[in-house]
Amino acid sequence: MGALRLPSLTSLSSAAAAAVPRHRFCRQLRLPVRRLSVQSSTAEKEIATPRSSAKPKLQEEKDRVITPRSQDFSAWYLDIIANAELADYGPVRGTMVIRPYGYAIWEAIQDYLNVKFKETGHSNMYFPQFIPYSFIEKEASHVEGFSPELALVTIGGGKELEEKLVVRPTSETIVNHMFTQWIHSYRDLPLMINQWANVTRWEMRTKPFVRTLEFLWQEGHTAHATPEEAEKEALQMIDMYTKFAFEQAAIPVIAGRKSKVETFAGASKTYTIEAMMGDRKALQAGTSHNLGQNFSRAFGTQFTDENGQRQHVWQTSWAISTRFVGGIIMTHGDDTGLMLPPNLAPVQVIVVPIWKKADERAEVLDAASSVKETLQAAGVKVKIDDSEQRTPGWKFNFWEMKGVPLRIEIGPRDVSSRSVVVSRRDIPGKQGKVFGISMESSTLVAYIKSKLDEVQSSLLEGAKSFRDSNIVDVSSYDELKEAIAQGKWARGPWSASDKEELKVKEETGATIRCFPFDQPQGPKKCLMTGNPADEVAIFAKSY
Amino acid sequence: MRRALTARFCASFNSWRGGSMSECPPPQVVLFVLYSEFVDLSPWPAKMPTARLRVVVNGEMIEYYDISGCYILRPWAMSIWEVMQTFFDAEIKKMKIKNCYFPLFVSSGVLQKEKDHIEGFAPEVAWVTKSGESELEMPIAIRPTSETVMYPYFSKWIRGHRDLPLRLNQWCNVVRWEFSNPTPFIRSREFLWQEGHTAFATKEEADTEVLDILELYRRIYEEFLAVPVIKGKKSEHEKFAGGLYTTTVEAFVPNTGRGVQGATSHCLGQNFAKMFEINFENEKGEKAMVWQNSWAYTTRTIGVMIMVHGDDKGLVLPPKIASVQVIVIPVPYKDANTQGIFDACDATVKSLNEAGIRAETDFRDNYSPGWKYSHWELKGVPLRIEIGPKDLANNQVRAVRRDNSAKIDIPMADLVCQVKDMLDNIQQSLFDVAKQKRDACIQVVHTWEEFAEALSQKKMILAPWCDEEEVEKDVKTRTKGDMGAAKSLCSPFDQPALPEGTLCFASGKPAKKWTYWGRSY
Repeated sequence: MGALRLPSLTSLSSAAAAAVPRHRFCRQLRLPVRRLSVQSSTAEKEIATPRSSAKPKLQEEKDRVITPRSQDFSAWYLDIIANAELADYGPVRGTMVIRPYGYAIWEAIQDYLNVKFKETGHSNMYFPQFIPYSFIEKEASHVEGFSPELALVTIGGGKELEEKLVVRPTSETIVNHMFTQWIHSYRDLPLMINQWANVTRWEMRTKPFVRTLEFLWQEGHTAHATPEEAEKEALQMIDMYTKFAFEQAAIPVIAGRKSKVETFAGASKTYTIEAMMGDRKALQAGTSHNLGQNFSRAFGTQFTDENGQRQHVWQTSWAISTRFVGGIIMTHGDDTGLMLPPNLAPVQVIVVPIWKKADERAEVLDAASSVKETLQAAGVKVKIDDSEQRTPGWKFNFWEMKGVPLRIEIGPRDVSSRSVVVSRRDIPGKQGKVFGISMESSTLVAYIKSKLDEVQSSLLEGAKSFRDSNIVDVSSYDELKEAIAQGKWARGPWSASDKEELKVKEETGATIRCFPFDQPQGPKKCLMTGNPADEVAIFAKSY
Repeated sequence: MRRALTARFCASFNSWRGGSMSECPPPQVVLFVLYSEFVDLSPWPAKMPTARLRVVVNGEMIEYYDISGCYILRPWAMSIWEVMQTFFDAEIKKMKIKNCYFPLFVSSGVLQKEKDHIEGFAPEVAWVTKSGESELEMPIAIRPTSETVMYPYFSKWIRGHRDLPLRLNQWCNVVRWEFSNPTPFIRSREFLWQEGHTAFATKEEADTEVLDILELYRRIYEEFLAVPVIKGKKSEHEKFAGGLYTTTVEAFVPNTGRGVQGATSHCLGQNFAKMFEINFENEKGEKAMVWQNSWAYTTRTIGVMIMVHGDDKGLVLPPKIASVQVIVIPVPYKDANTQGIFDACDATVKSLNEAGIRAETDFRDNYSPGWKYSHWELKGVPLRIEIGPKDLANNQVRAVRRDNSAKIDIPMADLVCQVKDMLDNIQQSLFDVAKQKRDACIQVVHTWEEFAEALSQKKMILAPWCDEEEVEKDVKTRTKGDMGAAKSLCSPFDQPALPEGTLCFASGKPAKKWTYWGRSY
């Protein structure tokens, strides 16, 4: 519950309080006043005027809402979510309303992955949300892993149900139940499906995007004739996620295999992508499981092979959820607010027209909208902020806080010189600002596109160097403890027991995030026992 | 009798809450006899498998499941939903409507709030009462629709006129725990839909949007699903309870003689704004209430399409929504150049795919060509291409239409061009045929006797009406029977002339408008 800083909305369960409390974030969106020295030549003077009296300034100081990231990461995260209008708290504790700006990021994730899934031969379908409790019980470790967090429906249509129904926490059981009926022979294999759905896990400690009672995800489920094919599929999907994280989200995840302790309930092997957040905690951003024959044995999912023998199928499942949006926020955001990778940003370029005198207005707005149309026609996601109630300075702050990668400023002088000023979100101040970019469409489009690419790769590079400077190679438990105490990730050889892994967790709060695919060469000795080890593991505290 | 799973929410809370089983006989949707050799009917609930239900299973659209009223949408159905989703989503984005997602769970208090205003729908709500082993303090409901979840946030987010319009949409699942005859797509306990919820400063803007959205619904039915619909307004009795007025696209299923509410777009007026205190400061600095709309279409659209086009052989899918538009089947003979035939099939699919046509081959060697023909006909693929030795020799393919079984030989050189034409033609002709059949069911009546006669002939009845709620209730009472009562479907926007002195068919009072009547899903 600690994560839910806002007035708890559980009070809504009383009929009288059905309205959502109006907390301070929503309306009084006052951004920190920024030093105006960084404004463009055209903007400089115009902006200074409206904010002269001392009172509003004081007011703004008081209402400053984004807690600096360095001061309190968790408070910063929640401030960003509220101010950038990514999400709001749902009426039931631990649930979340995903607002259009946050949902658009999820849609960008969906658009990319959905195409990739289909290219690799997966079909979308939809399974019911309710699962008979008896299904969940069939795979022993699965029920053990999930039972504490199951939401159970016991009343429907005013009647006590004969069998309690589970609101799906994941769909392996129902998928297997159906696969058993659909798969008869080797000709029916591989069977590869995906669904985009909501799932529910009754978590006690929640945090918007990162952990909510209900979240959105895609879950892929496949069945194969051989263990080799299943393993290949599980690896193919974790590779797809890795590529997505690097290329689209600019998150340099570390891909690897989970330890036995951390393996998905019911899987033989779990592959994961682990991302380092701005507070250096790890976020499991996507997983792909090789389920072996665990579920097919529990559900009797068999096929007749080419020799007429009955065999159990080999399966995988894999998922990415709205949690990934939280990962993007916590990887790239800074004290100013959100910072979105251009490839996933709902708005890639914000155009801010700047005018002072009434007679300048029309020409500036004309130029701004023609710039907008030029870029839009070239496939750039561009928005124009021509509202007259806000000053350009306020708009600059606002759209920076919303994480828009590029800003174009157009003032009267720019109109006469047929050029614009372009500022990068990722490089604050003058360094990130370039004057005199021609409005001529081919020049402008080429420039903007190359800048978007630059922002995209610079975000990745920035995150990579942050990540690398915070991973420490350790060769003893003491070194591991020290690294974790410093808030870093520890990477060291590991061949010790599950018990010792749990001891590390108890003593340091860190868990094995993964055995990375990318392994150093040479002989290794387990950091805990000194015994020979085949692999290094990465330990970190995590979300 | 339209009941719960109306395309739009609660469409009328009263009707879907209150209807008793006796009012709601199982839909007699026996369209065809089915190929049963490759289906195992045994696991189905005994009362389910009417023929139409079988076609959705055999056509691999849907699968039954252990929980009654919950169905699995298989890829064949899901891809249809996705085509409609892609179209509609792009269109509403052009209108600056934004997608978002509100939670599935509704606290009982919030639900209570709506209950105060509209009669509660508790009888159809599913309740989560436990998490893991522990009992929840308060049971939590699973959304049957999202007004009560969303509107408190509208109240929170809307302050001034600059916050308007607020136009949101969400794609999600909803749950209504009904007990009356579940029917795949048409009435299920969980279904997928989009629900749009918007708020405006003025009634004019709201009015405009209602019709803009309704036009999109018409296009989904007519342009994509090839199902003719009638645009119109619901009667006071049938409108969305709590709203100002409801517009609808009404479809008709000639085989069963029932109307189907295809999708509805409601102007809610200011009733919800009042209830949820959704106020804003207008340009003059005065406090005002917003005007709201809500609108939705569901996976029911797919059910309507199946019922309208399906035939004795199975599904008939309009090309625009078919996930496979052309199935290419090799027809090898003994001693023939089998490899050459297979290569020609591959080449055919390749050129069709390159032209943006969704084509696939069926090379399975354990089924005969004849079996494959039936299989893909059952699945409703609009066009079949057969390639045999003779076709190979003549450098041609044989194309067979699903809708009318017409066969033609197409020279390879003309392949893409002709296939495109044929698909367009199939799309158009499915619509034309459906419209012709629908139009043939429309009967204009002036008197109760004519009405009763037309109803017994399963017509879609157009009658002059006095537009009084009591009269509609009376019609319902008078037509109650095994088949279900008749009710008003809609008053079409496109009104025929109503000469002075025309009397209401039911009450004999002066008629105010022409209205469609009939039995309905």
